[in-house]
Amino acid sequence: MGSKITMISDLDIAGGQSTPAIQSHWGSGRLAMQGDSYPENSYELFDQVIGWVRHFLDEESRPLHLELDLVYLNTSSVKAMMDIFDLLEEAHLQGRQVSVEWRYDPRNERIAELADEFREDCSYPFAITPAAAPA
Amino acid sequence: MDLLSMRESYQRDRIMLCFNGPISRSLIEEIGKALRNYLDTQQAPPSAAMDVFAVYIEMTQNIRHYARHQGYSDTQAAATVAVAQDADDHYQVSAGNLVEQADGERLLRTIEALAPLDKAELKAAYKQQLRRPRDADEGGGAGLGLLDMARKSSRPLQASLQPLPNGQGFFSLTATI
Repeated sequence: MGSKITMISDLDIAGGQSTPAIQSHWGSGRLAMQGDSYPENSYELFDQVIGWVRHFLDEESRPLHLELDLVYLNTSSVKAMMDIFDLLEEAHLQGRQVSVEWRYDPRNERIAELADEFREDCSYPFAITPAAAPA
Repeated sequence: MDLLSMRESYQRDRIMLCFNGPISRSLIEEIGKALRNYLDTQQAPPSAAMDVFAVYIEMTQNIRHYARHQGYSDTQAAATVAVAQDADDHYQVSAGNLVEQADGERLLRTIEALAPLDKAELKAAYKQQLRRPRDADEGGGAGLGLLDMARKSSRPLQASLQPLPNGQGFFSLTATI
């Protein structure tokens, strides 16, 4: 890895039974994830997502928006997601525009409760939205 | 093999799903899928079904992490997993595995310490554990898993440790959703 990298390649990861689908769009400043996340070691998957977010926040001054349709997270994935939300919080406190929208199936309030616990530690816009047809 | 007596004991204990043997990553996923499908056909409320699934995942992944950490063979790494319903129709998720006696005793103390905590205290402990550095949390979150199970349970976690002649013990844990 060179130190002059100004843009890293976007992520486009297909979801599996225990891993979410992940897409990043450097150009539009968006990161999206859908599905369940319960791999044994979540950092094997999330290190690249954390890396992408870190790069974007370091290299760009544009807003960053996360679109989440995550359903179930094991504790290892919760820890990795918290690291991502912490990066956004740090950037937000330095005046960056960041936001999260977490869509959930209203039949399952556990997802909204999980999202709400993340939101408690965030001071940037964090919407938890019931969605009619979950991804 | 006396399958009839096995069947009768499963029915008596209202065991919906049960597994015994070496547990791989893909097996955890496949059994988890079967568990979800079964809960779905039973028309379990989605939040209860997710809690049962979540506790099952944390228990089995904790067992895998521990066995790997100890360098156990497949035979030693075997897990015994059962999902049942109790007399009040609460779902019960149980898992057992071999542990070193001292580790089992430490686990028992941790679980005993969680028993008197109410939901708010468990949440505070969970959030505190979540913020501990990654390296301090060997295996990717064993302590966090226990707190997560305790939070999803309607009663304190029940654990037991049965000593075995070789210095190891059989640790079993039950969460009632």
